[in-house]
Amino acid sequence: MDNLMEELEAKTAFTIPVFGGIPIAESCVVTWIIMGAIVLLSIILTHKLKKVPTGSQCILEGVMDWLDNFFTGILGPKGKKYLPFLETLIIYIAFANTVGLFGFVPPTKDVNVTAALAGIAIIFVQLSFIIEKGPLKWLKSFLNPINLLDLVTRPLSLCMRLFGNVLGAFVVMELVKKGIAAIGVPVIASAYFDIFDGLLQAYVFVFLTSLYMAEAMEEE
Amino acid sequence: MGLIALGAAIAVLTGAGAGIGIGIATAKATESIARQPEAKGDIRTALLLGCALAEATAIYGFVIAIMIIGKA
Repeated sequence: MDNLMEELEAKTAFTIPVFGGIPIAESCVVTWIIMGAIVLLSIILTHKLKKVPTGSQCILEGVMDWLDNFFTGILGPKGKKYLPFLETLIIYIAFANTVGLFGFVPPTKDVNVTAALAGIAIIFVQLSFIIEKGPLKWLKSFLNPINLLDLVTRPLSLCMRLFGNVLGAFVVMELVKKGIAAIGVPVIASAYFDIFDGLLQAYVFVFLTSLYMAEAMEEE
Repeated sequence: MGLIALGAAIAVLTGAGAGIGIGIATAKATESIARQPEAKGDIRTALLLGCALAEATAIYGFVIAIMIIGKA
């Protein structure tokens, strides 16, 4: 039991020995690995693109097409300029949630990471409001105190939802690995908790962000 | 440890509410898909949103339970 609680803590991977030591969290190191993997994948997949797609290009185009349609469906045609941000967010969170499959600790298990993601998302929502409607209307929108409350509750719920889900999946997977190590059982559990739940939470996070954006951008 | 574990268990009871909520939402969604199969996409989107919001309460309970045990 104590062993499990220890693993729930956000660990420090190493310390940079300057200014009295800057601690680098494990989630940060795993994020660097994910960044490297995504950059490598992007280079490999977009290398030698053809007019008529074959093989991996088909999958790439299918995924990007689905993402484009999904977000333009929510944001409408004028949301096109925000697509790259939302797609980056969903790709990163999807990788971060499923990285447990490769034996890493998911960075989204660290509440600091999800808090940062939720903070970025809510700042972006407010920025899209300012860009689409101007700063004056943005300030005026806070005459309604519910909007002020939303600034706190929305990032909090985004952050806690992602964190709680990933932490829950992590706890269950640790218990399964330690308790029922029979062949086949961890596979099924991992398929549900790591792949399905991870991808669903990435989807939900970005879906909610884009819904908030659509609400911020809509004309009265 | 005994009373602390009990507190954590009570916090996790929030899961019951989320389960009931998601159950009702899914029941209604299947019903409406059966009635209007062509609106499947919209219904699925709305269902996912509702489930995500309903599930949040269960997650809060879980996070709080972990916090209670962790502080013990």
